[in-house]
Amino acid sequence: MTFAFRDFRSVGWSAAVAALVAGTMVSAAQAQAKDVIKFGAPLPLTGALSPEALKAKQGFEIWMEMVNKAGGIKVGDRKMKVEIAFVDYQSNTPKAVQAAEGLITQEKVDFLFSPHGSGAAKAASNVSEKYKVPTVAATASSTQVFDQKPRYLFGTYTPNETLLAPLFPIAKRDLPSLKKVAIYTRNDLFPLALSQAVEQTAKKNGLDIVFNEKYAITALDHSSALSQLKAAAPDWIFVFGYTNDNLMIRKQMIDQRLEAPLITMLTGPSYPEFVEAAGVAGSENITGASWWDAAVRYTSEDVFGSTEGYIKAFKDKFGIVPDYGHASYTVAAVALQLAIEKAGTTDREKVRDALASLDAKTFFGPIKFNEIGQANSYDPPIFQLRDGKTVVLYPEATKQGDLRLGVK
Amino acid sequence: MIFVQILVNGLVLGSLYACIAAGFSLVWGVLNVINLMHGSFIVLGAYLALGLYLSIGLAPWWSLAVAAVLFFGIGYLIQRFLINRVIAAPVLLSLTLTFGLDLIIQNAMLYVFKADYRSLKLDPALGSLAFGSVVVPVDRLIAMIFALLLTLALYIVLRKSRVGRAIVAVRVDQGAARLLGVNIPSIYAIAFGIGTAMAASAGTLLALTFPIAPVASYAFLGKAFVVCVLGGLGSVPGAVLGGLLLGLVETFGAYALGPEFAVMLSFGLLILFLVVRPQGILGRWGFE
Repeated sequence: MTFAFRDFRSVGWSAAVAALVAGTMVSAAQAQAKDVIKFGAPLPLTGALSPEALKAKQGFEIWMEMVNKAGGIKVGDRKMKVEIAFVDYQSNTPKAVQAAEGLITQEKVDFLFSPHGSGAAKAASNVSEKYKVPTVAATASSTQVFDQKPRYLFGTYTPNETLLAPLFPIAKRDLPSLKKVAIYTRNDLFPLALSQAVEQTAKKNGLDIVFNEKYAITALDHSSALSQLKAAAPDWIFVFGYTNDNLMIRKQMIDQRLEAPLITMLTGPSYPEFVEAAGVAGSENITGASWWDAAVRYTSEDVFGSTEGYIKAFKDKFGIVPDYGHASYTVAAVALQLAIEKAGTTDREKVRDALASLDAKTFFGPIKFNEIGQANSYDPPIFQLRDGKTVVLYPEATKQGDLRLGVK
Repeated sequence: MIFVQILVNGLVLGSLYACIAAGFSLVWGVLNVINLMHGSFIVLGAYLALGLYLSIGLAPWWSLAVAAVLFFGIGYLIQRFLINRVIAAPVLLSLTLTFGLDLIIQNAMLYVFKADYRSLKLDPALGSLAFGSVVVPVDRLIAMIFALLLTLALYIVLRKSRVGRAIVAVRVDQGAARLLGVNIPSIYAIAFGIGTAMAASAGTLLALTFPIAPVASYAFLGKAFVVCVLGGLGSVPGAVLGGLLLGLVETFGAYALGPEFAVMLSFGLLILFLVVRPQGILGRWGFE
């Protein structure tokens, strides 16, 4: 093949054509050589959310290691290795959006994971929509994240309301005198969503809300609010915040000799470090819920084979039993992997369609998304802390014990 | 009765705030250095208390002494070899330097201690004292007493000791102090050492009442800042008054307006003071 360069009037033209031809050849060669699928994960590795981010990273790493050990993700008739680009956004949501965009435009990732939590996931979802990049959110539980029906965003958490609603019938059955409910909430997106869900469920169940207050994100002391809460003498106390807040609040509850038949805290009790820091006595009989617990048992079609397989692999690598903070991120990656395998290609549009129609058994539970992209396929476990261990109360299939009353 | 309970809560909390702020106030007042590492020194003191309790069973109020000596040395060296180099430059430079150093300390802490929240649980737990329906947690009470003793000790050192008088002299009139033979760089280093020792000692006490984590440092730094503005820079009694005022405003504010306004109130008070009385409650030159 010969190019008749003299046909072009200027050197500029010929240079442009040459560059174009060369560019096409290079990108064709890259596509040929590409045997790695690159994922992008913006995480709050420093700052206030760093404890959660460190778990997220471990959750991703165990998946990446297992997949690569097995040869990679099966795409059509070949196997492609996995690589994850982690970017720290310093627990700062605007930076999370920048990080997500940078991963797509500069790191050239094929697929994306959302930043941590509902707020950041929603903010960054605009980037995924703009560049049409299928994105899985590991920890976006608020339905508001999905209310604009994003096309490329999928969340592996079931909606907030599903977490605690099943505990109400159990509590009413075991404590017939149950009447007065108190709610104490961190003024932050996820805790507020939980608080609203509980407020509605409590009213629906004919309960009185005798105390319902919020505290600021930077609060260091809760003694005043707890004195008031104590004066209201509630039967059931809900405390919504993050681990640090809940530890501090739990300690001040004990300091003020605040007792109740039922105390439910989110998040915190599902993390082993909560029990370690609050102590066995300080955490006894506290109820909580999370989207996953190491006590659940599923067989799966993912790289781990079952929940036990996941726990073992995780323990072998990191020396600890994974909690839902780790597992949430692993399952996000698992869902994306299963969708790629189902699509048989890394074409973003086809993978997006595969995610939308996914119906997969994972170590986390069955994963299937509703029409707005939020998972609705499993029952999040409700549990109680006893002797420093979680005892699953719900769902029936994995139940390990009955509710016990009295938190001192 | 709930009124008395909230008053008690406020006074106890306020004493802890005073202790957090005293060292910060000293450094700011004498050196004109806004030490952004202050919060991290508090957290390091808390980790020291935790480490000593877990390894040799030393109660936090005794590790206070260890922390004071150790961190005096650390603070002295930081000032002598790093901050003294930029102390004559505009305040922004020392602010930037302490900010940079703080980033290093923060990330080193994240690396060494991880981001997990730890807490110091005494075994057996100290529990709380009840007077009728008013409850006072014993650990907070102990922390409060030691915090006030520590702040009193600082006051006495500044008032009675030769070094203390030199610090005050430098604070009041640097030029005159130099003429009278005071070694300014050395006094700076000692003052910064005392500030650091106060921060770490406060940290050992706070370990009893707050969860310990590297990311907690900014919350403490924020409180120290507010207390200093309320009480007046460089004044020890000012730090105590500012701390108590902040504690009471936060607890009563939370009671009257709801807990979500507690933090807003404290910063609202900060702005009010900056506008109406920028020198603080006890804003006088010098320490006395």
